[in-house]
Amino acid sequence: MQVLVVDNGGQWTHREWRVLRDLGVETSIVPNTTPPGSISADGLVLSGGSPRVGLDEEAMGMCGEYIDQLDIPILGICAGHQCMALRLGGKAAHSATPEFGKTLVSVVDEDDLFKGLPETFVAWESHNDEVTELPPGFTLLANSETCPVQAMKHETRPLYGLQFHPEVEHTDNGYEIFQAFLDVCEARRKG
Amino acid sequence: MFDPKKFIDDQVEKTRSEVKGKAIIAASGGVDSTVCAAIVSRALGDQLLAVYVDTGFMRKGETKAVDEMLGRLGVNHMVVDASDEYFAALKGVTDPEAKRKIIGEKFIRVFEREAVKSGAEYLVQGTIAPDWIESGGGLRDTIKSHHNVGGLPSDMKMKLVEPLRDLYKDEVRKVARALGIEVAERQPFPGPALAIRIMGEPTRESVDIVREACAIVEEEIEKAAGEGKMNIPWQYFAVLLPVKSVGVQGDVRAYGYTVAVRAVESVDAMSATYMRIPHDVLESISTRITNRMKDRVNRVVYDITDKPPATIEWE
Repeated sequence: MQVLVVDNGGQWTHREWRVLRDLGVETSIVPNTTPPGSISADGLVLSGGSPRVGLDEEAMGMCGEYIDQLDIPILGICAGHQCMALRLGGKAAHSATPEFGKTLVSVVDEDDLFKGLPETFVAWESHNDEVTELPPGFTLLANSETCPVQAMKHETRPLYGLQFHPEVEHTDNGYEIFQAFLDVCEARRKG
Repeated sequence: MFDPKKFIDDQVEKTRSEVKGKAIIAASGGVDSTVCAAIVSRALGDQLLAVYVDTGFMRKGETKAVDEMLGRLGVNHMVVDASDEYFAALKGVTDPEAKRKIIGEKFIRVFEREAVKSGAEYLVQGTIAPDWIESGGGLRDTIKSHHNVGGLPSDMKMKLVEPLRDLYKDEVRKVARALGIEVAERQPFPGPALAIRIMGEPTRESVDIVREACAIVEEEIEKAAGEGKMNIPWQYFAVLLPVKSVGVQGDVRAYGYTVAVRAVESVDAMSATYMRIPHDVLESISTRITNRMKDRVNRVVYDITDKPPATIEWE
């Protein structure tokens, strides 16, 4: 199974690659200008990016096209998550209270990604912007005191968005969350 | 999962096929460059020369200790004292990025001189993932220009060899243990060294202060860890701040500088939490620093910021 990391210029893009490699899947980092037609992976992680990139479609390269055209599980993280919300009709804007470092995330609906995890856990954040309104057809999975949408999921397509960073060592249950996403990719691959 | 033995074999093989001729390695005595030296010397043998540069910003006793350690490692090595050049190049420089770039370029100039003498065409560096990630480029913002990536001059002629580019420190330590490297557990220390632990111009006098303060922090924390009062942090050091404050020392008014103590826990340096050091250990550090520095330093503070929002080093 192959899961690619789309690089939107984040500080932790390479960490996402490392976690996927540690979990035993074939993976590599690809630029976000890679044409969707040349992607034949079983899943995609859209990485975070430098400040404001989630609100700037151009800097997000082909991320919007991947969301529109690829019928594979996609996990958007931070800027990737904000891009997903904007692309599918939700809203994202500057955070009233940005979050940097340790944050307590509360699970609202455990769904696939948070199955068996505690109701609240410590997650590492680094964002100036956030999703302020869910796109149509999405369900809220988690929030925090200062950010209304920490995690979301499309009700019918395998599209997931996380504002926090599961790839960071200091985030609790990060590997479990990635494994849950890989399980979705594996189930879909086997069809 | 990461397999250090396989990594060593792959990299020895790769170096053998890619490096044809003599190479020098930028050796600081830290775990990254020492692991690199061990791997590349397996591939190249006597064709490799390790060059350690004494920039004048090294810690207490460091140059002598690294010289001896490289000797025990069994690679060809030499120590170059370039401290006069570094202090001259940094005269009046206070901006952290300017410091890092000047230091990065100086390193290359020293290596180029040694390369010409030894006939080497390749420069081996112990660059690891956070170095190029934080140096930025393309979409990625520059957090700080690491001397070995963002500080490289554009006209450098030597070919770069960087076997550890995709590793983080915890993985490098696994490789170091597999190789039996004696500095496997040594705390990280930045290439620009004490020059970026002085918030301001690095002069011989300011380096002396921060060198002594760093030595006290290391001694007190290692002593406390030895007594079971705490674990050894990921990284622990002192920073000299340009802030002056009023004190009273020996019934006399003092108006001296401030030293910040920093100690963090991390796995890969890409995120970190500040270390919960017992107060009596912090107090010993504080008292020793202010007694030792006399009227130059009369205040010590402890940094309680995680990464993000801060970085581990202050510059």
